[in-house]
Amino acid sequence: MNAIDATDRTFRSPDAPPPSLLTIILDTNPHAWAHLEPTLPLQKAIANLLVFINAHLAFNHSNEVAVLASHSQKIQWLYPTPKPPSHNLTRPASPRPNGASNGTHSAHDDANKYRPFRIVEQQILANLSALLASTTSSDLSSTTTTLISGALTTALTYIAKAALAHAPPTDPSASLNVADPSPTFMDANDGTTSRARTTLTSRILVLSVSGDLAAQYIPVMNAIFAAQRQRIPIDILKIAGDTVFLQQACDATGGVYMEAQEPAGLLQYLMMSFLPDATARDFLVLPSGGAVDFRAACFCHEKIVELGWVCSVCLSIFCGPPEHNQCLTCGNQLSMASTLPKPPALIQRKKKKKKRAAGDGASAGVTPSGTPGPA
Amino acid sequence: MVANANKKSKEKVKPRGREMAWEREIRTDFRVREGQDGLIKGHVEGLVEARKRKRLRQDTEPFQRGIIRHVALVLDLSEAMLEKDMRPNRYLVTLKYTQEYIREFFEQNPISQMLILAMYDGICIKISDLSGNPSTHISALIALRNPRNPREVAKEPKGSPSLQNALEHARASLHHTPSHGTREVIIILGALLSLDPGDIFKTISACVADHLRVAIIGMAGRLRICQEICAKTNANDPSSYTVALDQTHFRELLLATTTPPVIRKPTAAAQAANPASLLLMGFPSRVIEDSPTLCACHGQLTRGGYTCSRCMAKVCSLPSTCPSCHLTLILSTHLARSYHHLFPLRNWVEVSWQRALKKGSVQCTGCLTAFPPVPADMRDSKGKGKVTNGNHESNGVNGAVRQEKVEGASESSRYECETCGEHFCIDCDLFCHEVVHNCPGCQSSVPEGDVVQGQNGAAGDGNRMDVD
Repeated sequence: MNAIDATDRTFRSPDAPPPSLLTIILDTNPHAWAHLEPTLPLQKAIANLLVFINAHLAFNHSNEVAVLASHSQKIQWLYPTPKPPSHNLTRPASPRPNGASNGTHSAHDDANKYRPFRIVEQQILANLSALLASTTSSDLSSTTTTLISGALTTALTYIAKAALAHAPPTDPSASLNVADPSPTFMDANDGTTSRARTTLTSRILVLSVSGDLAAQYIPVMNAIFAAQRQRIPIDILKIAGDTVFLQQACDATGGVYMEAQEPAGLLQYLMMSFLPDATARDFLVLPSGGAVDFRAACFCHEKIVELGWVCSVCLSIFCGPPEHNQCLTCGNQLSMASTLPKPPALIQRKKKKKKRAAGDGASAGVTPSGTPGPA
Repeated sequence: MVANANKKSKEKVKPRGREMAWEREIRTDFRVREGQDGLIKGHVEGLVEARKRKRLRQDTEPFQRGIIRHVALVLDLSEAMLEKDMRPNRYLVTLKYTQEYIREFFEQNPISQMLILAMYDGICIKISDLSGNPSTHISALIALRNPRNPREVAKEPKGSPSLQNALEHARASLHHTPSHGTREVIIILGALLSLDPGDIFKTISACVADHLRVAIIGMAGRLRICQEICAKTNANDPSSYTVALDQTHFRELLLATTTPPVIRKPTAAAQAANPASLLLMGFPSRVIEDSPTLCACHGQLTRGGYTCSRCMAKVCSLPSTCPSCHLTLILSTHLARSYHHLFPLRNWVEVSWQRALKKGSVQCTGCLTAFPPVPADMRDSKGKGKVTNGNHESNGVNGAVRQEKVEGASESSRYECETCGEHFCIDCDLFCHEVVHNCPGCQSSVPEGDVVQGQNGAAGDGNRMDVD
């Protein structure tokens, strides 16, 4: 029964390098970029990033790229450009500012540029300028951080879909088994398919400029575990700020973590450390490793703690025993008994045995050790 | 004829609707219907979507779950496991799936402990000790068939199983575990018998007294005694006794037990006896040292490790207990792994064409895949009355014909998160609920509504008003 299937068994040449999807999350937190203005203005960073993207695309003609902006109040796709919601369907071809700017660009575009490069560049620049133009001063004053959890989640869903699209259509269960990407078990299932899992290797690169993400602790952690399960490395290039969780993300998913000492040299950091894809990284000495900060954020004050109190029911972390010994998350009454210092366990002194009569002991044969008698 | 007569007499005795499964008419869930355009494609796609979503449609109500688990996994190594109804035989299938199970178990329950027992030749033997390290369990399982010591022989199933011995052994092994964790026994039973040395009912009541929860996965048929054991140890809920229909079903049932169990509402007495406790835990950071130093756990020279948050002793691996000050040391990522059980993502709802038209969603928010366009007749009418019966009028002008979709799948292939109102495709629905446990829409906007509203502008607001 298993032998009958309608699979398309076209031969794929195995020696072609697998296509690689690079998803870049650009942290466009306006506050942080304003800080960076003297050393690395945003325009220069974008120009460097575009060179990097072009390098990635030039590696292999089937390589793909996706760029997300993690802004202070929303997530914006920079490439590919999302279609605007079509509220007014009677007027399908309504001129949008987005399309208009695209048109002007292409009008006086030099024909000497490789077309994929040009398309990516145009869309990223147009979307980014639209995003910056749409940021109001009220947005700026309301928050100083960035929505990195949303950007990671969106990037992961995009990658998951791209992986599904690239997966060989041999096994119908492949699409159903998003939760179980482990290849070994799938292969062992009934021996029909010994396929390589996905032919697409994906990775996420985060250009991070903001610190203090403790408020998004749980969603960021969820995203990290999802990336770990899907074997998607998360690379972090930290240009400014300080985050604990992104470092943990790199460590958990096997990505590269780098702190840019000299932000002006952004392009060099990108090209030297983040260009090789997962296939090439097996042969390289990666610049990560070393000490990792594994501290957690407490649920009560969103402080980062090294020594915390944990509710045994819901595993919420608190920086100190909560009021009335009641868990703030699940409301259970908690006993502190286990945290109280226990009295040290001492070995009880043995009571002195009463001396028995000497003759008794000998006759009972208490000490059979020693050399046996001549008898 | 005789059978027919019997059936009739049974029908008389039984109230309607209680007939046996084989007496019922064949249910045709899988009947494929033609769409308006005479193609079955739409319906088949709907069936596929419904099947994908069926796995999601479970309760997402945040239960209290026992996250710190102590599990005794009992394998059956009796003669019955040599049956070849699973390929190559039940024993090998069990070993293979158990290894997978152990990895998945510790992935899902990183701060839990497990031990493996086996019912072998009438007695219960221990395969691995209680520990939180998956590799020791897996190597112990591999050593069953390929013993490391060449003088030992590989263990093959033999004799009869004994449920009583297994329960007693598990009870004794889990006796010392702390009261804030759960005590669970998961038995894989291939045989249809249990050869017990004494009264199993005494054992069952002893297990109930010790708060053991027993789950049994049968491979052959339902047994009364198994149902009794599961019901008694799970507050009269026999649903933890399951019987596998085939190999894949067996794997599903086994992996289903990796989800932490729901904690029953404890009685006042039980709560007083073992209340939830507040545990002090350390979240040490990893250090790399230039020169090797001695670790506190093994006394070996290592170049790196984790320093205890309280006493700065160096340990090699986590999770562990600090050998010098007895502080529980754990990676915060271990705790964070369990949070999605506690804060589950709410299920997304199906979107009608009308709703899709109102929102004007053209592509999935997560992956930017284009949605099928709204059919022409819906667009023209825009009326609310025509939604229900408008099916017959679809004319397929725009290439998009409205198809009658299957129960559980969305007619417009869109799924909406009720919190943020974004629309997603079926693949993102599955992925977000099973893997990420985040909603891309909710995470991508600031919770304060006013900021986002200001962004969208007047047009967006107007539409939202219409919908409501």
